[in-house]
Amino acid sequence: MAFTPKKQAFNAKINAVTLGTGDKSIVIGGENVLPFYTFDAPIANKPRIAVEISDKGLEGCVSDGIKAFYAGCESVVDMAVKAQSMEGASAICLHFESADPNGENKSVEDCVALAKAVADAVEMPILVMGCKNIEKDAQIFNAVSDALQGKNILVLSAREENYKNVGASAGLAYNQKVGAESAVDINLAKQLNVLLSQLGVPDASVCMNVGSSAAGYGFEYLSSTLDRVKAAALAQSDKQLQMPIVTPVSPETWGVKESMSPEEESPEWGSLDERGIEMEVCTASACLVGGSNLVIMRHPAAVATISKFIDSLM
Amino acid sequence: MAKFITIGERISVTAPAIRRAFEERDPEPILTRCEQQLKAGANYIDVNIGPAESDGEERMQWAVKLLQERFDNVPLALDTSNMKAIEAGIQVYNREKGKPIVNSADAGDRFNRIELAANNDAIVIALCSANGIASDNDERMAHCQRMLEEGLMHGMEAEDLWFDPLFLVVKGMQDKQMEVLEAIKMFTDMGLNSTGGLSNNSNGMPKHIRPIFDSCMLAMAMMQGLTSAIVNPNDQRLMETIKTCDIIKNNNLYADSYLEI
Repeated sequence: MAFTPKKQAFNAKINAVTLGTGDKSIVIGGENVLPFYTFDAPIANKPRIAVEISDKGLEGCVSDGIKAFYAGCESVVDMAVKAQSMEGASAICLHFESADPNGENKSVEDCVALAKAVADAVEMPILVMGCKNIEKDAQIFNAVSDALQGKNILVLSAREENYKNVGASAGLAYNQKVGAESAVDINLAKQLNVLLSQLGVPDASVCMNVGSSAAGYGFEYLSSTLDRVKAAALAQSDKQLQMPIVTPVSPETWGVKESMSPEEESPEWGSLDERGIEMEVCTASACLVGGSNLVIMRHPAAVATISKFIDSLM
Repeated sequence: MAKFITIGERISVTAPAIRRAFEERDPEPILTRCEQQLKAGANYIDVNIGPAESDGEERMQWAVKLLQERFDNVPLALDTSNMKAIEAGIQVYNREKGKPIVNSADAGDRFNRIELAANNDAIVIALCSANGIASDNDERMAHCQRMLEEGLMHGMEAEDLWFDPLFLVVKGMQDKQMEVLEAIKMFTDMGLNSTGGLSNNSNGMPKHIRPIFDSCMLAMAMMQGLTSAIVNPNDQRLMETIKTCDIIKNNNLYADSYLEI
């Protein structure tokens, strides 16, 4: 008797969330199968890659490949425009690193001005990432969401401490998409979605960042979190976990020693640029097979590799 | 793995207000009770129209359309001894939110309800008794086996037969309670789905005692693997117990607000 594989498509599906507007808008999520299980059912919306641009430009960048890619760019806006031409890029992630009150403390007004300038210059969907300071982030998300009304941006992220503020402004008042962030805590991931939903933010306006880490840096916790979240969403039809997953990869991988230690200090490790690319590729591919619907990355070679990886598995 | 399924029992002709509503085709009392049960988290709604020998078919169709049109094709358990009324109800039933449940078959006079369910691609509640309560679990499981085979022979999936051990009243049959729970474990070990009219166990007890008994019995039954029950979803203690047991069994992922969802 011939072997007939049993299809494992689920009755439940991940919410399809649209980011951006017009021709360049993208949809993430929508699948009713495990990541890349296209043999069980078609996956309409492939995972996407957003290119991270720091509001500091190339300041602090150790990668020759990244510097070469943006050669000739005179501003962050130039870089954002250039990033759109990166092979495999689908969105731009503007990272307000310098807004941190413990650092440069860039003003909310300056952040808004930059966000507007970038939004005016690019056609791809925009993701806005904060500086990890709870209060400042809430202020930035509020002001940027207001200024970029109609652009359908994703703000990263609403956390347990500021979800009311971020959810009410970005999600409700300004009709943007909200990322709900928890740190490898499946119960909190679900709870945040419940709270945003009780606040009135529609499920189709919410993405999840369930945690991020670089490969080798406690990644197994993230991996098991991704697995458990997808299992609950699909096998247990858990509506509070059916939001697509967005994972910032580059902010983690470019902060570890493998990607930063100069060649003169670690000659046995080989090319610094290659190491950075490999850390991004390893981490992003592991996130994607775990269920991330969008990964945020930096290096053009890594983005191109992951893009091919996605296409070849679809 | 799957969450526990609750079948709301409050639309029943045993309640005088509902009996009158069915007789007079008065939608309001029926809609009100349905809404109360859905708000409380019921998954299925049982529609007990009584034997309705003279107008069963028309009565069941009226009720199915009334409830499904108002409540987004809410899935229903069609509860009557009148076979033609069940078939008539299924004819107008919308399956978008779940298959209809035939309530119920047994291994005695209602044995042919299994074939009825098979012919109509419905779920059937299979009561493990023939004419009278099974004397022990050997008899219960013999009924179970016979009904399972009948369903499979008519092309049903085993998962569409929900076996009912028949919950027994504590006041009078206290010595039989563990036996009922053991029967549920036997269904579970066979990989079968199960259900039952939970509140039988607390029949005749003072009103303030019943939720306590129902909750404890339910928790013990869920431990044995019970997959569904016919319950009063407006019993808050009971619903909180079910939600909590679903968490402990890892049928549902914990979140601090789990009682609110």
